[in-house]
Amino acid sequence: MVYEFRYLAPRTASELAALLDGHKTDGKILAGGTDLIPNIRNGLMKPRVVIDIKKYEGADRISFGSDGLSMGPAVTINDVLRSKDARERYPVLCGCAHELASHQIRNRATVTGNVVNASPCSDMAPALLCLGASAVIRSATGERIVPFSQFFAGVKKTVLVPGEFLERIVVPAASAGAVGRYMKLKRIAGHDLGIVGVLMTRHEGRLRFAVSSAAPTPVLVDTVTEKDSPDEAARKVLAAVSPISDVRGTREYRVHMIGVYVRRLLAEVR
Amino acid sequence: MFDDIKTADLAYVGKKAGRPDMVEKLTGEAMFVSDMELPGMLHAQLKKSPHARARIKHIETAKAAALPGVRAIITGEELDYHIGLYIVDKYILAKGEVRHYGEAVAAVAAETLEQARAAVEAIEVEYESLPPVLHHMDALKPDAPLVHPDLGTYSYVTAAFTPKPGTNIANHTKLRKGDVDKGFAESAYIVEREYSCPSVQHVPMETHVAIVQWGKGDKVSIWTSAQSPFTVRNLFCHAFKLPHINVRVQTPYVGGGFGGKAGIGVEPLCAVLSRKANGKPVKFQASREEEFSLLPCRSALTYRIKTGISADGRILAQHMTMYWDSGAYADYAVNVTRASGFSASGPYEIPNAWVDAYTIYTNKPYGTAYRGFGHVEFHWAVERHMELIASAIGMDPLEFRLKNALRPGCHTMTGEEILPGTGNVVKCIEEAARRVGYGTLTAAEKAREKKTGWKIGKGVAALQKAPAMPSFTATSVVLKMNEDGSVLVNLALCDYGQGTYASIRQIVAERLGFDIEKVKVAFENDTDRDPYDWQTVASKGLLLSGNAAILAAEDLLKTAYAVAGEALRANPRDLAHDGTKVYIKHHPSKSVSFSSMAVGLAMPNGNGIGGPLIGVGRYIAQGLSNLDKETGEGNPAIDWTYGAHGMIVEVNEDTGEYRVLKVASVYDVGRAINPDIVRGQAIGGMIQGLGTAICEGYIYDQQGRLLNPSFTDNKIPTAKDLPMEIECAVVETPQVDGPYGARGVGEHSMISVAPALGNAIQKATGAEITHMPMRFEDVWRAIQKKEPIDNWITKSPVGSCRSAPELRNHE
Repeated sequence: MVYEFRYLAPRTASELAALLDGHKTDGKILAGGTDLIPNIRNGLMKPRVVIDIKKYEGADRISFGSDGLSMGPAVTINDVLRSKDARERYPVLCGCAHELASHQIRNRATVTGNVVNASPCSDMAPALLCLGASAVIRSATGERIVPFSQFFAGVKKTVLVPGEFLERIVVPAASAGAVGRYMKLKRIAGHDLGIVGVLMTRHEGRLRFAVSSAAPTPVLVDTVTEKDSPDEAARKVLAAVSPISDVRGTREYRVHMIGVYVRRLLAEVR
Repeated sequence: MFDDIKTADLAYVGKKAGRPDMVEKLTGEAMFVSDMELPGMLHAQLKKSPHARARIKHIETAKAAALPGVRAIITGEELDYHIGLYIVDKYILAKGEVRHYGEAVAAVAAETLEQARAAVEAIEVEYESLPPVLHHMDALKPDAPLVHPDLGTYSYVTAAFTPKPGTNIANHTKLRKGDVDKGFAESAYIVEREYSCPSVQHVPMETHVAIVQWGKGDKVSIWTSAQSPFTVRNLFCHAFKLPHINVRVQTPYVGGGFGGKAGIGVEPLCAVLSRKANGKPVKFQASREEEFSLLPCRSALTYRIKTGISADGRILAQHMTMYWDSGAYADYAVNVTRASGFSASGPYEIPNAWVDAYTIYTNKPYGTAYRGFGHVEFHWAVERHMELIASAIGMDPLEFRLKNALRPGCHTMTGEEILPGTGNVVKCIEEAARRVGYGTLTAAEKAREKKTGWKIGKGVAALQKAPAMPSFTATSVVLKMNEDGSVLVNLALCDYGQGTYASIRQIVAERLGFDIEKVKVAFENDTDRDPYDWQTVASKGLLLSGNAAILAAEDLLKTAYAVAGEALRANPRDLAHDGTKVYIKHHPSKSVSFSSMAVGLAMPNGNGIGGPLIGVGRYIAQGLSNLDKETGEGNPAIDWTYGAHGMIVEVNEDTGEYRVLKVASVYDVGRAINPDIVRGQAIGGMIQGLGTAICEGYIYDQQGRLLNPSFTDNKIPTAKDLPMEIECAVVETPQVDGPYGARGVGEHSMISVAPALGNAIQKATGAEITHMPMRFEDVWRAIQKKEPIDNWITKSPVGSCRSAPELRNHE
């Protein structure tokens, strides 16, 4: 597929916001490009203007402060894995990051890209959902903050409207220290999209589950309590998802494995 | 034919020796066709069919032709060349009708790749879509659409193949041995089951690529990533009716082939574009997606086996029906069918055998050679079948295998007698079993089971393969001595990664008695420079070319001795040599050096004698015969390489998840010329086999479109998928006519890996899996006795593995 587009690389966040405002219908943001470029190559996306989000001052900043862990739009998955703050305070975030694709792709792919792409099989979404992270969304006219529990709107859809961009992801300081584990069922031991993925976190007596590849969006389940039996917990999680059958697996197997993972996680995450 | 010398008495053979291509490949210095650019070179791109079957009503190219940089556009309509290896059934570009999704219908050559892509997008094709026939079992139904209605008019190799015009059967291979009805009547048990595996892709690192220049006077130069330069030349000349002298094929370093680059590929396409572009060189390199659907794959197989067994566990009769999915063209699939037909029982004696092997056309990408040439696929069936028979009759599967394995005095299905030098499959099976501790769990394994809750199972599977090749397959090697007494080896057998050149180098150095540093095997192949070799396929390279290398070394020495005899006034019979000189045995101080004789010896008075030293070795397969087309009897095998895998696997019964804890592979290679290369082949093939066992396979929708046309959903294993422990070992029963006793092992490592896994899973869980691959879900379904998913053609009405075991007692 031969496709020509304009490439713009704004130098400030406000310049970026202004550009997006002017290209609401024909613009696409380029972060790591690990989804956008294949989509353009395969003719699935035809943006007239590609706006690089990585070039403005501070886009690649990852820092920990009183608000928590803040990640700009150019922060790659490997940046997260290299960050001492992320590793020490948010092991769950790193656990999910590790399951995302291959090392080479993790060098390019960004955390924001992974959630803005809004694939049902996003590997970062489960971590952000369980850790109560928020999306700081900016546009030419202002800023709004949306918790990730309300961020995904459907298959490959988010609450972002044209002109808006995800400027920062903030993982609250209150979630630091949460323990958990992400179980991802794959076809090979190497890099693969998940057949299903289940993350469980345990923090200050509170359990949370997030499930990928099992519904139109990644799903957060925070109704499971310590008192629930493993079967009851699995029932609650399964009630929140609606897996389909496709080339990676049948609905029947996905349902079964989500239940298995929930029970395994309850036993393993201590 | 060749002396069997103890390894201890050899300088290089059987010892460690590095690969001559190692540094070039590790540093990126090695030049592949992918890297090459020629002055004025154009780039080709293809317009491909979005339909599995459709009539081409019109192709509009005017808009594309007007685009900048476009130098040539070609459609099938203007070409009339039929190509084909065994059945000449394919056009260079689809003509009249497209027969599979992804088939090329038009081609463009332009100055840049981008211009070529833009031009392809500007080509408009009007199709009338036709109902495709997708599953090979559906294609056998009387009302199935015909993929090739003109099959009766095609030319084909009549000595080996039997197409059935008016049907979708491209070939029917038969084998009849003994009296099957009598065998079944005498049997105490009869077990009948059906097995299947889907099409898979070779996935070479370097995708198919060629550059072709159609020069003045119809002189054609071809640079291609191919396994067999002489076969490319021969098929090319036949297709274009050109004298062989006009065509030169060069293959530099080749980035893998695995059978997918065995015949002819994208070369004719580049050639017709170059001709139309007034002789500018044209390059085409397939994208990874094109590798999956434009270029050929491995055929799918459905295999029904019915076996009669005596009360004491001896096979008395076996009825075997193979249904090979050829896809849209016959290519190698017909010969895969033939070669699999005569080997269909695996390494077991079947006194009464009946084989029908069909190659069936469907509207899917076509099948070709793939490492193992059918044996990976049908051994999946045979070795699962042996396991299922054993469990059905209450016998240990290992004991059942050993009881029926081929031993000296047994006869193969084609009537060939097994001799003590044929190879020892019994020893391979026993050794593989021993290395995995078959039959029991160790204390550590029991403790592991207790800790993980996963069940550990151990399985064994055996294998055999002979080269599938014409009975008169030949090769040659030429040695040329350089001025300093070093030696250049020229041959057209390619080393596209398997490492044969390292072994050839050892053989030449060994036989010459030279320091190995003085022997160079020229890596890039060239039909204008190198002596003939048929093809680099079939695991026959080391045996045939190794023998030719020995003969070439002997010829070079003979010539050198003649010159030295003249110079030293000695009878050549009284001469001997070391790494640098020829000397008189009884006056060792009287000698003449190889370097002084290399390009002709100058006597002290200036007279010249001899001339450049060249050694020629020619070798042809001997004693092979065509198989009788009605009975399949004859001698098809120059050598049989036997082997076996033992496998330990742990399985979670609740989920079907499993991990391979250990693989032990054992092959009777006759003699390991280069043990490291045998090990490399053993591990590489095993992991490739494991890939097809655990996850690989084409999945189509109801319209015949490939649903997993890329690495996103057509996964192959990575380094992380390696088993936790791998052992490789050899049994060495010398091949009497092999070089230093060696026989080939290039393909064998991939064979029977899948059934070893299936057997181990069955041992652990009782799951009776009969279709490949064994994804976790497939294992879970088999354990839970749920209906298997048959999504190789989604929602196909034809199940791939729904047959139930039939066990009946003949009183």
